Amino acid sequence: MTRLVLEGLRKTFNGVAAVHHLDLATSEGEFISLLGPSGCGKTTTLRCVAGFEYPDTGRVLLDGEEVTGQPPERRDIGMVFQNYALFPHLTVQRNLAFGLEMRRIDKVAIRRRVDAVLGMVQLSSMLDRYPRQLSGGQQQRVALARALVIEPRLLLLDEPLANLDAVLRDEMRVFIRELQKRVGITTLYVTHDQAEAMVMSDRIAVLLDGKLAQLGPPEDIYLRPRSVEVARFIGRSNLIEGTVDSAHASGIAGGTIPVRTAMGVVSARHDRPLLPGEPVHVAIRPEAIGFAGGHREQPQAAGSGAAGERVAGMDAQATTSLHECTVNRAYFLGAAVEHVVQCRGDISLVVQTAHAQRVAEGGRAAIVLGPDSAWVIPRAP
Amino acid sequence: MTHAVATATRLPRLPIGQRAFWLIAPALVLIGVFLVLPYLNIVVMSLREPAVGAPYGAGLTIGNYTRILGDGYFLGVLADTLLLGFTTTVICLLLGYPVAYHLARTTSRYQSLLYVLVLSPLLVGVVVRSFGWLILLSGNGVVNRALLDLGLLETGLQLINNRLGVTIALVHVFLPFMILPLIGVIQSIDPVLETAGQSLGASRLMVFWRLVLPLSWPGIQAGSILVFVLTLSAYVTPVMLGGAQMKTMSVLVVQNLIDNFQWPTGAALALILSACGLVAVAVYARLTSLLMKGVQ
Repeated sequence: MTRLVLEGLRKTFNGVAAVHHLDLATSEGEFISLLGPSGCGKTTTLRCVAGFEYPDTGRVLLDGEEVTGQPPERRDIGMVFQNYALFPHLTVQRNLAFGLEMRRIDKVAIRRRVDAVLGMVQLSSMLDRYPRQLSGGQQQRVALARALVIEPRLLLLDEPLANLDAVLRDEMRVFIRELQKRVGITTLYVTHDQAEAMVMSDRIAVLLDGKLAQLGPPEDIYLRPRSVEVARFIGRSNLIEGTVDSAHASGIAGGTIPVRTAMGVVSARHDRPLLPGEPVHVAIRPEAIGFAGGHREQPQAAGSGAAGERVAGMDAQATTSLHECTVNRAYFLGAAVEHVVQCRGDISLVVQTAHAQRVAEGGRAAIVLGPDSAWVIPRAP
Repeated sequence: MTHAVATATRLPRLPIGQRAFWLIAPALVLIGVFLVLPYLNIVVMSLREPAVGAPYGAGLTIGNYTRILGDGYFLGVLADTLLLGFTTTVICLLLGYPVAYHLARTTSRYQSLLYVLVLSPLLVGVVVRSFGWLILLSGNGVVNRALLDLGLLETGLQLINNRLGVTIALVHVFLPFMILPLIGVIQSIDPVLETAGQSLGASRLMVFWRLVLPLSWPGIQAGSILVFVLTLSAYVTPVMLGGAQMKTMSVLVVQNLIDNFQWPTGAALALILSACGLVAVAVYARLTSLLMKGVQ
């Protein structure tokens, strides 16, 4: 198993930087997703690792050995492309054998290894088919097998599921992840699909504008975004400006802290020392907000709680707060209902609830913010 | 497969006067009147007795064919012509492939200019073009003068009135017929296949040899057949640059028809050339289609 290290990687095209100074280190056998919108530099990064691009500055290391200047054919890296890139004039068997033939492996061994890998991707019966005779999912698995049969040091996947329909994509996510675990190969996976990255990855590297915005396990990325940009890109977030309530500010890294906002005081989690009065953003996921009462509220049954009312006593470190609001819009999403509500201070929030909690448009209600629903993101001064 | 086709093509039958095949009728008439009928006429003519004072006599005979196929001179010219077709095709392929590959892959803004350059040999009439080559290649021509004046040679090179001169001029004019089909086919080869080949450990040479070249076969096949057939039937260029030494079958055909007034012999020569060309193309197409198994 291989450790991939990227040190200060930078690549420009015609003076425009596609990747700015990227540092990244994988563990052995780790599955890391490079997640970002199109044009964020994730594919350029992948191509630098594969050797199809040479970085302007920075180094690519495999197990401590520098490969930055090596041509791709000498790097021993398996790659799966978005449109599979199967060789149309060769059968499945010959496609898989290609990489082994380039390594001058004898015919018997080639046959044995091809058979073994085809078994792993459950395509043993497709040996003599041509790529065009296979379905999209099957072609995908052949591409995966072709990359794995050379027993590469590293596996790179460039949006491999983008061309598949939704049902097949869900299947292939699990399939690829299981196969990767079984083979135990260190894998770099490029995608713009958050759900895909969440399901498959050990860690996610969020790339925004050619910079590494955050690196961490999926839960970290989702629950503890480091910046407003990450919070905006991953899932949906309500972002509210506020300041750390001076009365309760502390140098303690971790726990919850009250934040003064235009809609009242909100208690939010944090994991770094915060100063009294420090400007921050509070990020709240739409599904982390509920309506008070837990039953369907009628438009006329307006919430009675005062704005910013503390429900659970005065314990500032773990507080649930109630905020009066007006429901402006309610959208039916199928599995849930999404409400756009207006709170005090003209703050508009998106609230996602189950059907049972649905509030009709124009109705008044009170939202409940639990102690764990909000997360503090320090604001640059 | 056949089932799908059968159901897909089940259209309501139109009255005979409205069916779509009438659309090809004008073209069919043209081909029938100006190609098939003359060809049949030539076939008949080649079976006539030679005559004096008339194009041909009345009786039917296969004597023309047996005489030609037993005559070493005719067979020599036939072999020369086929060899010329072969060498011209191979040289066009070797010169044209890199050009086609470059044009297919380039993102240069001069791409359209390059296309014009590739097509430029066809922009000049055949007689003018051949005269141009005469001026360049003759004993006292531009090329020889330059070499002699520079002191690189003591006696001039024999560049015309031989196989070399004809080959140079034919390669020049037929190169576009090789390049254009190749460009189309190479453009249809996804460049990511080359990337994939490299990621699997293939050097650039192996990527070309194992991936790009096999996938180019349809273009190579089309271009080669075009150039080969065009070379076999070329007339003006061999006449002007071949002299007495390099005679091709087309030259011989015209000589027999016009100069010697031997219509039956000329007709038989023309048909023998056509038959040989057809067989060569058929064999070539068969061989290359074996290589193309799986492509397209």
